[in-house]
Amino acid sequence: MREAVHVERPWFSASLWEWIFTTDHKKIGIMYGVTSTLFFVIAGLMALGMRLELFSPGGQYMKPETYNYFLTVHGTVILLWWAIGIWSSFANFLIPLMIGARDVAFPRLNALGYWMFFAASVIALLTFIPGNHIMTMWTGYPPLAAKEGVGFAGTTALFVFIWHLTGFASIAGAVNFITTVIRMRAPGIGFWNLNLFIHGVIAANVIQLLGVPSVAGAVTMLFLDTYLKTSFFDPTKGGDPLLYQNLFWFYSHPAVYVMVLPAFGIISEIVSTFARKPIFGYKSMVVAIWAIAVVGFTVWTHHMFVSGIPDWVKILMSYTTLLIAVPTGIKIFNWVATLYRAAIVYRTPMLYALGAILMFLIGGLTGIPLGIPAFDIAVHDSYFVVGHFHYVLGMAVTLSAFGGFFYWWPKVTGRMYSEGLGKLSFWIVLVGSNLLYFPQLVIGLLGMPRRYYDYPAIPEWVTLHQIQTYGAFILALGLLIAMVALIKGAFSGERVGPNPWESNSLEWRIPSPPPPQNFDTPPKVEENFCPHGYRKL
Amino acid sequence: MEVLARPYDLWEGIYKIWLVITVIIYAAVAIPSLIFMVKYRYKPGEREVGDHEHEGHWGLEALWTIIPLIIVLYLATHGFAIFTQMRKPPENALELRVTAFSWGWIFQYPNGKTVVASAIRDTEDKKCKPEECYGVDGVFQHYVYIPAGVPVKVLLTSQDVIHSFYVRAAGVTQDAVPGRTTYTWFQINEPGEYWVFCREYCGQWHSRMFAKLKVVPKEEFERWLRGETADGGHESEARKVANITEVREVVR
Ligand code: HEM
Ligand SMILES: [Cu+2]
Ligand SMILES: [Cu+2]
Repeated sequence: MREAVHVERPWFSASLWEWIFTTDHKKIGIMYGVTSTLFFVIAGLMALGMRLELFSPGGQYMKPETYNYFLTVHGTVILLWWAIGIWSSFANFLIPLMIGARDVAFPRLNALGYWMFFAASVIALLTFIPGNHIMTMWTGYPPLAAKEGVGFAGTTALFVFIWHLTGFASIAGAVNFITTVIRMRAPGIGFWNLNLFIHGVIAANVIQLLGVPSVAGAVTMLFLDTYLKTSFFDPTKGGDPLLYQNLFWFYSHPAVYVMVLPAFGIISEIVSTFARKPIFGYKSMVVAIWAIAVVGFTVWTHHMFVSGIPDWVKILMSYTTLLIAVPTGIKIFNWVATLYRAAIVYRTPMLYALGAILMFLIGGLTGIPLGIPAFDIAVHDSYFVVGHFHYVLGMAVTLSAFGGFFYWWPKVTGRMYSEGLGKLSFWIVLVGSNLLYFPQLVIGLLGMPRRYYDYPAIPEWVTLHQIQTYGAFILALGLLIAMVALIKGAFSGERVGPNPWESNSLEWRIPSPPPPQNFDTPPKVEENFCPHGYRKL
Repeated sequence: MEVLARPYDLWEGIYKIWLVITVIIYAAVAIPSLIFMVKYRYKPGEREVGDHEHEGHWGLEALWTIIPLIIVLYLATHGFAIFTQMRKPPENALELRVTAFSWGWIFQYPNGKTVVASAIRDTEDKKCKPEECYGVDGVFQHYVYIPAGVPVKVLLTSQDVIHSFYVRAAGVTQDAVPGRTTYTWFQINEPGEYWVFCREYCGQWHSRMFAKLKVVPKEEFERWLRGETADGGHESEARKVANITEVREVVR
């Protein structure tokens, strides 16, 4: 039993040896966080490179294959490392604390999951070696992705291994978190008084468990087609390229809820804490989360509206797609209602959470027309889609993740972040993001196709691309300030007690940073315990 | 008044409905939010804790379930109706067979005439000045003549990877998938030059996979089709450029 070896010292004074062999959920959570954030920065820098290239028409300083490589890594890394991976960090650190457990159910499986994720990270870095570039785009559609080489897919195998390894980590995490929450809750905590963050994360992990096998199968067949010349997707030998798209999106649409449900959870935690008031409509929030997770599996062909599938399938999944807007709307209205007759304290996490809500709304409202085939036919694979998913991922998910960083920073490090820099970073990020993403919606309506290295000098297009590039650099500055605010806090911030926000949730009832065993004795919660019931101390 | 292009007119209708609904919904959420954010701030000694009476309200929650439900059912059903119209090419449509390849398009007219629109021939780097990269040079990149005011039904397929045929003015996108034939249709009423772009990522030169439609009056188009004008057919070049031996075989 390794976990019993190092007692009494907080996580940050561990030796390298302890980091490598640890099975402590807090250390593993931090390792996920560092890895994900590092890759977020790498993917962000690549995006800045692409924005410079697109600043004006014509090839500027990149070759098209370099651009395509950058875009493939940007997409893959932002989705798998950031929008999915970062929640493994939050889930690992917080789930046991929120349910009053000493660790997760399978600590060793948990460590194995992280090291698979680490292996995927190494593979991702290997693609930087010239000759190893991947140019499949994050979706890896065959026949293109099965055509190795410079003008086409690059090194398909690395693309496939990235999916396999991150997929393994996802499944290991899912088995672990689901079991932990089912089996290890402190007495008195049940389905109807779990933290909304836990509901979000567990719904996301159920999706992972059911969905990842589908995409893993798809990329495995892609691998066989590429290297062993099988013909699952090769039409010249009787295969069908659309089979890949079906298998891919059967997972990858629900995967967008893997990205956003934990973000919703964080928004709920933060909003109720800083409104100093219980979350409005807890029960409908829970129902909405689980409804989204279930219905999310019935909409995937909205990514294939122009691919040649039968028209009746498009209509069917148009209805199911739009139906998801209903539970999503419930969540938004409930957050707004939580602000009614609240006592709102404006600290950095609250700014990020409120920003995430109002920006997510734009993401959702631009998703609706994409779910209507008659509308989509004009904007499919255009920058309008790019704008849509950047509002949800670049804003709702990213703002929530940073809101979560600020919110739990005192718990994780025992010290307060720098408030002035934190608030400043929010406003710069908000302005930069909107300058970057709103023009994407407009230029998409004007016809600009996505995944273009170059474009004709249509005057409106040029202007809209230039605004985006300015926005991208403003956004980068804002994120940099946010990271400075956090890191500065970790080293020289004011020391904080167990519960600086006066929250009622369990993680705030133990010292900051949490001791190695979390809770000395299994915590007892009061009758009618509600993690979002603000209580005056 | 006659519209510039079809079925873009139908698309514009649904676009406007969406835009109005979106702005209303955004305002309906953002305005109360901003009011609450200002009005219900923490005030020491006066407002230190939020109101604990409002933990939920079934009536309100039902309200914001049912109203959005009605809105999305309306949008999906209206979209259904419009989409059915959009997908039905008019009876008298001119049939054009389009074969995509990396990186260009082969257009075949009903009388067998073939036009190739290809900016890039191979994976070599193409050096061009920005204003020339998207020009029609008459060697590999030719104008695709289209009669004004006549509906055109496009039968699409691909020789290699998946591409996507997008007519900007008409607002239609349709993938060209190897081993399948897909279709779309459009009609442009005013003579002029119009863009076609590839919209499915297809490798290195995806971004330069375009074509220029030259929409001309019907009579001029027919003279061109019979080969009576300068910019004639290019069948042999088509084969050379796209490395095709059996164009018709591929399109089928
Ligand atoms: C009301 C909610 C939403 C609706 C109705 C919706 C609808 C759609 C539709 C129909 C598409 C396909 C568009 C096309 O390719 O032409 C799409 C693309 C996309 N959406 Fe959403 N969406 C919603 C929310 C989200 C959320 C919450 C996320 C992520 C957290 C997300 C991420 C994406 C991504 C990444 C793509 C692009 C995938 C690709 O082709 O690379 N969406 N969305
Ligand atoms: Cu989707
Ligand atoms: Cu293309």
